[in-house]
Amino acid sequence: MTVPTSLLTAVPPYVLLAFAALAVLALPRRAGHAVAALATALTFVQAVLLGDGGTGAHLATTFLGFDVVFFNVDQFSLLMGVVVGFLATAAVLYAYGSEAPTWVTAFALLYVATTFGTIYAGDWLTLVFFWELTAVTSTLLVWQHGGEAVRAGYRYALFHGTGGTILLAAVVVHFVNAGTFLFSETAGIDPAATALAAVGIGINCGFIFLHSWLPDTYPRPHVAASVFLSVFTTKTAAYVMYRAFPEGGMWLAYLGGFMAVYGAFFALLQYDPRRLLSYHIQAQLGYMLAGFGLATAVGEFAVTGGFAHLFNNVLYKSLLFMAVGVVVYRTGVEDIRDMGGLWKVMPVTFLVYLVGAASITAVPGFNGFISKGMVLDSAHEVHNYILLLDSGLLWWLLVLGGVGTFMSFIKLGYYMFFHGSATLSPDDATPFQTAGMLLAAGACVFFGVFYTQLIELMPFTDLILSDEVYFKPYSQSHLIESAALLIAGFVGFFALKRPLGWLAHRMPDVDRVIFPAAFYLGRGSVWGVTELWAAVDRATMALAGATMRTASHPREALSRAGVDVEIRAGIGRSVLLLTLAAGVALFAFLLV
Amino acid sequence: MTDVLLPLAVVVPIVAATLPLALGLRYDRVGWPIAAVGTTAVAGIAAAIAAEVVANGPFDHALGGFLPPVGIELVADRLTVAVLLLVAAVSVATLAFARVAGPRGNPFYSAYLLLVGGLVGMTLTGDLFNLFVFLEITGLTTYALIASDRSGASAYASLKYLVVGTVGASLYLLGVGYVFLATGTLNMLDVQAQIVAQAGYGDPLVRASYAFIVTGLALKIAIFPVHSWQPDAYQRAPDSVTTIVAALVSTTSAYALIRVTYTVFTVDFLAANEGIATALLVVSTVSIVAGSALAAMQSNLKRMFAYSSVAQFGMIGAAVALANETALLGGIVHLIGHGIMKFGLFLGIGLLALGYGTRQMEDLASAARAAPYTSGGVAVLGLALVGIPPSIGFLGKWYIGVGAVDAGLAGGGAVGIAVAAAIFVSTLFTLSYVARLLERFYFAGAGLPGDHGEVPGTGDDGGRGDDHAATDGGEASPAKTADGLPAPVEGAPRSSLVPDRVPTAPLLALGLAVLATVALGFGGFALAEWFDPFLTEAFA
Repeated sequence: MTVPTSLLTAVPPYVLLAFAALAVLALPRRAGHAVAALATALTFVQAVLLGDGGTGAHLATTFLGFDVVFFNVDQFSLLMGVVVGFLATAAVLYAYGSEAPTWVTAFALLYVATTFGTIYAGDWLTLVFFWELTAVTSTLLVWQHGGEAVRAGYRYALFHGTGGTILLAAVVVHFVNAGTFLFSETAGIDPAATALAAVGIGINCGFIFLHSWLPDTYPRPHVAASVFLSVFTTKTAAYVMYRAFPEGGMWLAYLGGFMAVYGAFFALLQYDPRRLLSYHIQAQLGYMLAGFGLATAVGEFAVTGGFAHLFNNVLYKSLLFMAVGVVVYRTGVEDIRDMGGLWKVMPVTFLVYLVGAASITAVPGFNGFISKGMVLDSAHEVHNYILLLDSGLLWWLLVLGGVGTFMSFIKLGYYMFFHGSATLSPDDATPFQTAGMLLAAGACVFFGVFYTQLIELMPFTDLILSDEVYFKPYSQSHLIESAALLIAGFVGFFALKRPLGWLAHRMPDVDRVIFPAAFYLGRGSVWGVTELWAAVDRATMALAGATMRTASHPREALSRAGVDVEIRAGIGRSVLLLTLAAGVALFAFLLV
Repeated sequence: MTDVLLPLAVVVPIVAATLPLALGLRYDRVGWPIAAVGTTAVAGIAAAIAAEVVANGPFDHALGGFLPPVGIELVADRLTVAVLLLVAAVSVATLAFARVAGPRGNPFYSAYLLLVGGLVGMTLTGDLFNLFVFLEITGLTTYALIASDRSGASAYASLKYLVVGTVGASLYLLGVGYVFLATGTLNMLDVQAQIVAQAGYGDPLVRASYAFIVTGLALKIAIFPVHSWQPDAYQRAPDSVTTIVAALVSTTSAYALIRVTYTVFTVDFLAANEGIATALLVVSTVSIVAGSALAAMQSNLKRMFAYSSVAQFGMIGAAVALANETALLGGIVHLIGHGIMKFGLFLGIGLLALGYGTRQMEDLASAARAAPYTSGGVAVLGLALVGIPPSIGFLGKWYIGVGAVDAGLAGGGAVGIAVAAAIFVSTLFTLSYVARLLERFYFAGAGLPGDHGEVPGTGDDGGRGDDHAATDGGEASPAKTADGLPAPVEGAPRSSLVPDRVPTAPLLALGLAVLATVALGFGGFALAEWFDPFLTEAFA
């Protein structure tokens, strides 16, 4: 069965989802969520069907006199479309099961819609348009929750407004140099815009020092909103990073390596489960960027590894947010030290958590194992800054990040589900929560076992599966590597539990500096502008006042200057003036 | 009938002028009705003259049957008619104000009618010496009217005007004498022909004659730097006198300048004597800028608008000296427009002074709340004076400016552009003082924080204390009501139609002036059509 491409691309998914968002608001809760789930499922189906020869630039037109493409389908946007559509469906089911207000689901759908717009954009103008809209819709999604989420949402909006503006500047520079907004087949963003693009996209990617919005914002809104937020903004940013820099670069790879370590380390120090997971977003993005960064140094294998990890991360990261969300939803507690012993009362949630944790920590049999292995293999081929075991710095960074990931998920699971006696006895996940989680968990296991299916969805499939490339995930060396990581994780966690607990109260993240700095900088600049304006105003008014005084009392002004004369002409002087005028006139008229 | 229209227009007011004095021996308070009847008659005659000119073109009348060039001739053409209608309308309308504002007494109305007669005579006469006679009649009655409220300050102003004005008129007479020597005739059209026939444009006698005539008229018009009588006279005269004097006296003198320059000496004379034209242009340009700047410096309302007139007549003088058709059209339009606007402005601030005792700029705080209609009228006229379309103030300035630029482009060079620049600068100054007025009216609210409408006697005296204000006998600031609005003067007349404490009839006159100012602003093309015969003749 082949559906005509023109029919498939007649309606872009973001239009469909925008209407679905309206439907959620207009219809009763159950029907609205049904429509929402159907719509997201449709976008998933659409992406899957488009994979069968539907690539190309659809809905190409001109907008404001520029060539734009509103529905660009290629292997990269397709894999994003498949996973976003799939996960959004699961997340809608989860939201329905979590008693999410209809406004949350509606905003979330709009957020997904703008994400689709960014993904399917075929030119930088459309991309940056949807990029900014994504920032707006996600901010609304955060704000909807009220309370603490409002201030965090405000900081979030500031971050993304700044990032969006920088990206816009990069796009403008690109246009000036390239002469078109359209994506190029081979090149990314113009070299002149490299720094701007890196920072603009980097804010959304959670670059170190630009990441503090991540753990600040994601723990605060509704648990269902967190599930949506955790996957779309950052993963879209990674995808756009590849669009901008398809040739990669070692700076990107090393940045990714440091992000993996940094994110995992700070995750280890957290006790708020969603905050812990948020730091892991940064760490996991590090692996993706490391893969993209090695595009030139290693080749398409690394890029595929990065994209595979992106794809898998969407699945297991949201799965973890769902599982943790169920616990938070059922217990109302947001500190893992106050939980414990929950595995007995919440067996489903516990199992689902295990799947997610096994995936993110790259346990064999789960999808993270496949993709993280690809990235690690790629990094192993880089031989700069050789350290132990004949391996470079990058590989060690990524391995260290992997150990940290193990440790923090052992910590998270230990505190939530074991750790002392059960003081809480909540119900397990609701049916729809379970449904959403099972969808995501199933995918995690499926792609871990049938990993060629994962590669089929990826770009450069033929290359990876050919004999030229050594791609055997379940080889002995990989399994040993994985086991070593696991053991190091367990040993590390239980050995360092005490020092880590001590450190957790003392280790500040950059937000301790950035937030006050931004606050006082903002206050200072407002004060500065106001005072400068006031000074200009005072000077102008003083000048005008002095002029007025001098002009309306010219004689006093003169006498102050030391000249005391009558300046108003009396009778005598008037006659003198008149005769002088007549004389001058005569003189002039007769002689000129 | 048409034969007697022209002499009647002159004779009626002059004869009527004797009546208040004569009948005043028997009856009190007979002056106003006689003046009303007299000026209304003049208005009717002016309308009839206008109808005749429209129907049959220009016509004339030889007084006493003595034919020109020996006899004295009265002439009416389209330019005459425009000024004549202005004179008639303003003299009728001002009477409505004089009735409530004074000065009272039969002698005042005699002088008033005589002034109207002089103005009509200046407008209609076709004889250079006869023009001098009417100039003197106008001048003498003006001196008398200025002093008619019998205060010391007005007596001084009147005396100043008397001395300076007499010298000016003498200079004019000297000029007429020179041209008589050169041509042997006094009839305007005959002089025009005889200058060419007997002397030529380069003749020193003719040039000297023009120099004296222009200087004399410049004094009467009050062009900088021989304007010094005018601000005192306007400020010190009773409000009703200022209204008619500011609207008409300088206007008819400027009309005389146009008439003498273009009918007697002709545009060829200016072309043949570029130095003369340039000198006149430079003086006028200086007058435009200096007058506006001086006006912006004033805090007394009447004095401010008096200086404003110096600038506006500078523009008319420049229009005359530019010697091109567009500029002269602008000069004539501005002459008429300025007459209407200044009539309205002096009437408006006179009404506010009558009702609320406001004489200084700062007294007017919140006046628009106490007297919305009067203030509104003054505001519109002020904006028209700035030159904001649609208004006749805009049209006049526009034509003069375009003419100046044309002259500059046509080879007049820097001078033409300088005139345009001066008009622009003057517009900015005008805007500055009109904006101050509007700010007082509408924004200097009482009771607001940082309020500009200071409570009387709080020390900081704002723009007051002009050195002359101090010698004014220390006029106290007018009283305020409890909520800070200008308080009505005790016993001030009130209108049944509006909240303003002003009499109805003069307020109607103000309204008509506003209407005329705006309505004529739409008539740019019609005005150009109307004056086209005169301009064609002048530039033939």
